Amino acid sequence: MAEQTKTSVSLGLLLPGLFCLLLFGASLFAVGILSLRPERLAGEGIGLNQYLRFFDDTRYLIYFWRSFKVSCYGTLLTLFLGYPVAYLMARSGGRIRLTLTLVLVVQFFTSYIIRAYALMLVLGNNGLINRLLLKLGMIERPLALMHNETGVAIGLIMVSLPFIVFPVYSVLRGIDLRLEEAAESLGAGEWQVFWNVTLPLSLPGMAAGVVLALLFQVTSFIVPGLLGGGYYDMVANFICDQALSVLNIPFASAVAMVMLAITLFLVIGLNKLFERNLKDVSA
Amino acid sequence: MRKGTGTGKGLKRLSCLLGGLVVIGMFIPLLVVFVISFNPGNELIFPPHGFSLRWYSNIFHHASFLSSFHFSIILGVVATAVSLIVGLSGALVLTRRKFRGADIISGLLMSPLVVPQVVIGIGFLSLFSMMHVYHSIPSLLALHIIITLPYTLRVLVANLSRCPVSMEEAAMVLGAGKYRAFVETTLRMIKPGMVASAIFAFVTSFDNFTASQFLIWDRATLPIEIYAYITKENDPTVAAVSSVLILMTVGLVILMERWVGLETVTG
Repeated sequence: MAEQTKTSVSLGLLLPGLFCLLLFGASLFAVGILSLRPERLAGEGIGLNQYLRFFDDTRYLIYFWRSFKVSCYGTLLTLFLGYPVAYLMARSGGRIRLTLTLVLVVQFFTSYIIRAYALMLVLGNNGLINRLLLKLGMIERPLALMHNETGVAIGLIMVSLPFIVFPVYSVLRGIDLRLEEAAESLGAGEWQVFWNVTLPLSLPGMAAGVVLALLFQVTSFIVPGLLGGGYYDMVANFICDQALSVLNIPFASAVAMVMLAITLFLVIGLNKLFERNLKDVSA
Repeated sequence: MRKGTGTGKGLKRLSCLLGGLVVIGMFIPLLVVFVISFNPGNELIFPPHGFSLRWYSNIFHHASFLSSFHFSIILGVVATAVSLIVGLSGALVLTRRKFRGADIISGLLMSPLVVPQVVIGIGFLSLFSMMHVYHSIPSLLALHIIITLPYTLRVLVANLSRCPVSMEEAAMVLGAGKYRAFVETTLRMIKPGMVASAIFAFVTSFDNFTASQFLIWDRATLPIEIYAYITKENDPTVAAVSSVLILMTVGLVILMERWVGLETVTG
């Protein structure tokens, strides 16, 4: 026992972390308090006026509806596009795998702003796609690929691909190839092997990636801001606008609290759902 | 691997086709940014008509880009350093001490990852306003430490839990002091984790826009300047700035590959 106390660390080392936690908790508490202010500018009293105002007017719900809708199908498409990349990375030899990993990690570490900006240059009226299609004579007028839902959805999918690819790749690489070989030797075709062995075994990676991508897409600000260009604001844009342009901090705080509740509900709910169902798979 | 059996070919081909297209689709926009940054005109047309470095020199005529870049770098470095220290000391306690509520505390320390950035931003704006602190440096620094902490903590907890305490004890048996034993054994073993979490923390801080935009009373970070420039002027200067930053990212990723391997990112 004496030996153990020598290397055991003091609980006091947790203090800086606890201080950060305190600051973080206080900031969330401040949002909660401000959301209960009935007046726009720092007034007195406490009430639910801001929440009532929000739920009374269906105009405000559209931002939540957009965030929810786009990120639901956006996440599914991201999974659909990301899975083959992860599969390719996991099953390729050294050089191809390294190249793919490099491209993805560079993407992952490049600012969201730069990636969204880069997509603006590709999707805009003068962008790569429209110029190419015009030159080929396939269209007469530029396609509206930006400043609408399409642009926001494309942006969210492209930017959140690494969130899906990395966890799926990590799980796929851990799968014992002998399991697939065993299925093959028992007469299963390659698609049967994929469908009955590889895909179920990669479900934990897909689940982790889906939670990350959905969380990113629902709360996204930059992509709808730049690729929506104000024509397709989502929740985060609406909150920022209320807080920084309209300067209605109490109302922005109330909407922020609703957003926080929905986000936590989504993340915790999905985690619970996946936990339960993935247990069934392995059982 | 499967040579000779002939199976798995259609699948591999399909993943090559689909996955390859997706990766090319991810790569092309960054390439377009590069090409457009050399455009002589001030329109954002691809392909550009000619070659010019005027937008690169234009970066230097915008003091705001340079000063915010400088500020973002310093902010990122300081936030990363503090986050590493806080993360390391927290990770040591969480991996080596069993105490009640340890799970709750580590869960709460990771919670900035699931709280939307706008909510964190409004929270910090409100909190610092309530304390009558209207300065960007302390508030942004606090914000960036808190949002980078989950990354440093997660990597360091994973590293430390694979690192046996017995090495440190052996060093002490051989006469090393407590701190020297820690530095010479444990710290040395988790060095790759320290490097990886430092890079994660720095990138997270350097890129942060959504929460930081609430705290720009007297200083702006680079992402905020870039966003403002795109929405206001939108000539290829941003393409030039982006190209420089992408090159820096490529350099960082190559260094990371050399030092610690990219598995620290991909898992």
